[in-house]
Amino acid sequence: MSIKIRVRGKVRGGIAEIKALMKHPMESGRRINKKTGKPYPPKFIQNVEVAVNGTKAVDAQWSGAVSTNPYMAVKVKANKGDEVVINVVDNTGEKGSAKFKLK
Amino acid sequence: MKRRSFLKGTLATGAAVVAVNAGLLTPATVLADWNKAAFDAKKVDDAIKAVFGTATTAESGDLVLKAPEIAENGAVTPVTVDASKMSGVEAIAILADKNPTPLVCVYNFSGPALGYVSTRIKMGETMNVIAIAKAGGKLYKAEQQVKVTIGGCGG
Repeated sequence: MSIKIRVRGKVRGGIAEIKALMKHPMESGRRINKKTGKPYPPKFIQNVEVAVNGTKAVDAQWSGAVSTNPYMAVKVKANKGDEVVINVVDNTGEKGSAKFKLK
Repeated sequence: MKRRSFLKGTLATGAAVVAVNAGLLTPATVLADWNKAAFDAKKVDDAIKAVFGTATTAESGDLVLKAPEIAENGAVTPVTVDASKMSGVEAIAILADKNPTPLVCVYNFSGPALGYVSTRIKMGETMNVIAIAKAGGKLYKAEQQVKVTIGGCGG
């Protein structure tokens, strides 16, 4: 299993806004399962990395307080055709990756 | 609380060991840089200190925090932090002051990145959203109250 990521990005005036939508439960470990009275085990994305043409641009750390199916937008200086790579990993070691070219 | 962090720890190491044994990952990538002390901090100032080393902040008109005044559903509160007018933004952190652990996320910028982040966060009740930006070795803070009518945590 890997984490699914949808990415989009458009360049305007030398700046690209990169938008990513991930499919992930983002379970913080605080929500209680009403049937058992025990909390659901935590499962949330901890690290997100965005690279443009192989250069690291954004390196984020998340807690379980980022919403379920997280949305993220960042801005980078870039040109049309630049390659953007997004890598994520959650607290259980599950990974996800997405690669696309800027329009 | 102790039990919870114990469980968290064993789960994380368990997964890491499996992954390493399978030869899929190196330990360095599994235990990627994640500031546990900061994310476990219960107070806003402690969390900021754990991330940036100090909790002394200044105000700046160039640090813009966009959040709704009223969030109908606290589980998906859209928050945008725009510090792209500031030069040399190194990092942005977003905190929700009354969440059990206030620190929501930390973004570090390098190379071609601008100081801009837009995301959605969970909020348990009406509280302040705090954005901290680090630029030129200094911390800047912006704060806004968001009224939450349905909580996003617990349940």
